[in-house]
Amino acid sequence: MRQFLCRLRILRRLRQAETELAEELAFHREMKQQELEQRGVDPIEAGFAARRALGNVTLARDRAHDVWVPRWLQGLGQDGRLALRTFRATPVVSGVAILSLVLGIGANTAMFSVINALLIRSLPVAEPERLVLLSGRASPNQRWTYAIWEGVQRRAQAFKGAAAWGGVRMNLAPGGEVQPAEGLFVNGDFFTTLGVPALLGRVFSAADDVRLAGPDGPVVVISYPFWQRYFGGSFHAVGTSIRIESVPFTVIGVTPPDFFGPEVGRLFDVALPLGTEPLIRGRDTALDHRTNFWLHILLRLRRDQSSVAARDVLRAMQPDIREAAMPQASSPVDPRSWFLVNPFDLVPAARGVSELRPRYQQQVLVLLAVVGSVLLIACGNLANLLLARAAARRQELSVRLALGASTWRLARQLLTESVLLSMGGAVGGIVFAIWGSRALIAELSTPASPVFLDVSIDARVLMFTAVVTIATTVVSGTAPAWRAARMAAVNAIRPYGRAPASSRPFALSGSLLVAQIALSFVLVVVAGLLIETLARLARVSPGFDDRVVIFNVNANRVAVNRGQRPDLYQRMAQTVAALPGVAKAAASVTTPLNGSVWGGNRITVPGDSAPPGPGTALVNFVTPDWFATYGTPLVAGRDIDAHDTVGSQLVTVVNEAFARAFYPAGPALGRQVIQWPNRTTRTIVGIVGNAAYGSLREPVKPTMYVPLQQFDWSEMSLPGISLSVRSANGSPAALVHSVAAALMSVDQNLAFNIRFLQDQVGASLMQERLMAGLSGFFSLLALLLAGLGLYGVSSYAVSRRWREIGIRVALGAVPLSVVRVILSPVSVQVALGIVIGGVASLWASRFVAALLYGLQPGDPRTLAESALLLATIAALAAGLPAWRASRIDPAVVLRES
Amino acid sequence: MGTKDASELLPGTLDLLILKTLVAGRMHGYGIAQRLKDVSEDVLQVGESSLYPALQRLLLRGWAKAEWGASENNRRARYYTLTAAGRKQLAVERQEFDRLILAIHKVLNTA
Repeated sequence: MRQFLCRLRILRRLRQAETELAEELAFHREMKQQELEQRGVDPIEAGFAARRALGNVTLARDRAHDVWVPRWLQGLGQDGRLALRTFRATPVVSGVAILSLVLGIGANTAMFSVINALLIRSLPVAEPERLVLLSGRASPNQRWTYAIWEGVQRRAQAFKGAAAWGGVRMNLAPGGEVQPAEGLFVNGDFFTTLGVPALLGRVFSAADDVRLAGPDGPVVVISYPFWQRYFGGSFHAVGTSIRIESVPFTVIGVTPPDFFGPEVGRLFDVALPLGTEPLIRGRDTALDHRTNFWLHILLRLRRDQSSVAARDVLRAMQPDIREAAMPQASSPVDPRSWFLVNPFDLVPAARGVSELRPRYQQQVLVLLAVVGSVLLIACGNLANLLLARAAARRQELSVRLALGASTWRLARQLLTESVLLSMGGAVGGIVFAIWGSRALIAELSTPASPVFLDVSIDARVLMFTAVVTIATTVVSGTAPAWRAARMAAVNAIRPYGRAPASSRPFALSGSLLVAQIALSFVLVVVAGLLIETLARLARVSPGFDDRVVIFNVNANRVAVNRGQRPDLYQRMAQTVAALPGVAKAAASVTTPLNGSVWGGNRITVPGDSAPPGPGTALVNFVTPDWFATYGTPLVAGRDIDAHDTVGSQLVTVVNEAFARAFYPAGPALGRQVIQWPNRTTRTIVGIVGNAAYGSLREPVKPTMYVPLQQFDWSEMSLPGISLSVRSANGSPAALVHSVAAALMSVDQNLAFNIRFLQDQVGASLMQERLMAGLSGFFSLLALLLAGLGLYGVSSYAVSRRWREIGIRVALGAVPLSVVRVILSPVSVQVALGIVIGGVASLWASRFVAALLYGLQPGDPRTLAESALLLATIAALAAGLPAWRASRIDPAVVLRES
Repeated sequence: MGTKDASELLPGTLDLLILKTLVAGRMHGYGIAQRLKDVSEDVLQVGESSLYPALQRLLLRGWAKAEWGASENNRRARYYTLTAAGRKQLAVERQEFDRLILAIHKVLNTA
């Protein structure tokens, strides 16, 4: 090690070491001369004698050089210089090779850094492996009520610590259009349990987390990015006050830059103590709501505590916790049937929780396979390039072999080239990946659900890139190096061009070609399937007209009580509907394709035997004119109108899918349905056409549209509503200002965000669009690379058989037959590649089956189109050199030989 | 009796001789060559093409260290000093050398 460092130092100052040695040698000579002179030798003669005595100065220098730089390293420098010279001599070919590697390695690195951030990396907290998440079937979504959290918290001393949080979108604006912030309600020990210190100020203590506010009043801890964005990174941020949902909070601390929160895929902006939640939500507080499952609960295990032991401790506490947290008797389902029965469970939580993970896991793995294939194709090109170069240098290599160079030395020379190329590719690839992974994450984000992933390049990603680079070198460099190692020295004495025109090198690059064609065919098929999926989804009629702008309104700060809210909402809709340029306006609890649906409760019809009935239905609560706003046709009966109120008959409008599902035999109009579990009976007064609700992918589900006025307000308060506005003519964007002003005139304290239905529909297809776009891009890249490879191999074949073709032409071959001579081996390879690729794609496309819509993995049309596309590209790439070959002038050829 | 160039010595012997010479104190390259010649009564003549690479090797392995200083005739010269590691190495190599010589003796003296 010491030696290595010392050598490194010398290497850095090789020039200086050489001068010093020269000075030393000169001194030696002088001393010698002096000695001779003292012995009485003539000064001039002494000078010569001293020089003679000194012997071979160059040898001394060379030997010293050998000490400084070991032989093998000297050779490396030579190889490197030679390789660089070769690159400079063929800038276009080398540039294309490096560029394809940059794209190949870069895309792989980018995809891996996303996978790393999403699936592999632990939370940036202390000892993440000791964290476990409370789960179990008593919770529908691994979340728990505040009452259960209180129970766990009170018994938290059985563990190292306990943390709970609930994510809530918050509003920083005083009124009007929402200024969104990602909020977290956390317990007082949240940060200390996770082991996240404050970068600035302090984190919460248990004292901060008391109902309403602790001794310091309402306090907030902000994230580093929010600190940068909102406070410009000012050190005065701590101690200042910010209004969150119009409540002033004092900033007490900033978290470190790498801490994004407990959820992978989301970045928190502000964290508030759980106790302050009633300040914001007022009477709707979730703290008292025993059926609101909204908190994640994390436990930190003691050092000596296993996950199983902790689970047993927890299960022993369970009856007490559950009994104390029993949902109110009025709630729809008898809690005893499930709440008390299902046991608590603990799952490892080192990687935090993530809604993104299940959604994108398959996609990113498919994409990694895709970019891996692209890199393999690029490797094939590189191997072919190096093979061709080695063949062109056959003479030189043979001469070196004949002069005594070891075959290993020659192989190393060729390996150096592929090492340099792939290293260039790796460096460029990392830069590309830094950009690419960020761009990819930005693509995933929509205004409704911003996505954050920490895709910074860490040691694991670098390791991955290194392994990929080494693999690239081995895959692309082995064949040429092996070929060089088997070179016969006897070729040196054969005149150039007379070397036996064996078909061997061609066989090797030929099989590489087949592999490349096959791989790119698979990619084209997969991309074709995904693109066709998107195209079919885009053609799906949503059942509504998307010329609508949606205002998602929050009335939390409006001073009306629960019962008056429906009136407020109705008034909003009426005010807006009266505006000029507005065709229709209506309010609803949720809007189509916004990512959430209501309902799913069991539905039966009178006279039908009770469960098991035909199934469930989705629900939306709407005001009159909602269908007209969305352009959904009324097929039969009437729309909901102003007379459908709390006191009147309970009614509903249903879609055709509902009618068909629950009244398959007869007209559904005028009949009754029963909503479980409250057994609310409603009369069907209208039937509307099917329209998309939750997703464009799924067939339209049976859906009930219930008058907003008949919403059961005792069961759940509704702090917000969505107001949909349809423009009379032209884009709904023109209405934004007047509608916003109208809403403010209804009440100053309304807060809202604005979404265009068109964007909302587009965002619902975001995953499909992303997959189609990325796989399309990479399959195009694969086609381009395969085409380049084919072109290169074909050109090489032409140049090798130049003389032969010239003679053929001289003997009377027509151009077409020359083209055939060149094309026939290539076309066999392309056909073979397509056949192999076809079989492989049948197998590979099964992995994307779940991502497809409206077509099967082995879709014959996609296969046929892909084959046609690939054959066309191949014909172009191989045909161009063949066409050039057919125009060879035999006179030139014969004169030159 | 003729003179011997150090490169004809047993492998590794030159390093041993230089290390041993440096025990006397710091010395420049020429001085080392002179001393080897003097002590061996002109038998060992170290060629510069062996001496200086050998010195570089010793430096690299940390057995000697070098510094520039003024020579007896006021010229700039590079002086070599034995390091602690060099001293240890000298002992090791000397033992090794003695073993080798003993072995050679045995071979030569056996009838």
